[in-house]
Amino acid sequence: MQLRVDLHSTNFEPLVALARWQEERQQSGISNNAAEAVFVGRVRGVAADGSELEALELEHYPGMTEQQLERLALDCCHRHGVNSCLAKHRIGRVLPGEAIVLVAIGADRRGPAQRCCQELLEALKHDAPFWKREWRANGSSEWLSGNTPL
Amino acid sequence: MLFAGLREQVGWAEQQWPADPNCTSEITPRQLWLNLKLPGDLGPQVRVAINRQFADADTPLKPGDELAFLPPISGG
Repeated sequence: MQLRVDLHSTNFEPLVALARWQEERQQSGISNNAAEAVFVGRVRGVAADGSELEALELEHYPGMTEQQLERLALDCCHRHGVNSCLAKHRIGRVLPGEAIVLVAIGADRRGPAQRCCQELLEALKHDAPFWKREWRANGSSEWLSGNTPL
Repeated sequence: MLFAGLREQVGWAEQQWPADPNCTSEITPRQLWLNLKLPGDLGPQVRVAINRQFADADTPLKPGDELAFLPPISGG
């Protein structure tokens, strides 16, 4: 199982990251997956209270967040028997429209790929120590106390 | 260690808590929450991590442990 987990303090382009991931797999001689599932999450331009959002601030627990992301990804990938996993997550200040999370799973069949991708995304939303703070266009801010509905 | 909204509510991010060699009973995160005068009771909305792993709030702490109280998580 090939696993790669990254935290980014600056913007990343999901499609570029996916192309690199594909190249790395080919260079290391890992065969192509018959099925790949990809999820990209981006920052909304609207805050929870409906006002205009200027930015999202993402705090994490250095050391634990990386360990926990890797642990969650390994558990999930082994449970679904998939071949490869790429998970990228932003930290710091993220602007509306920028990618906040990328999860990509490669497997032999679409079922495990899609199920693993969804399960890992939900796991990292609820069990990886990240905290979001909304900065509104009027200068006010608020820490979020949970996730948006599925 | 405290994070995010909890850190800002309380006004500090990190403290050292000296181990008491004369204390016969081991201290737990739940007891430490009270000793540090953190707000209210340690409810289910705040999770505990010991040495960067989720843990039960009643786990006895050992000298050198890194304890963190984690407010509601919102990743992804």
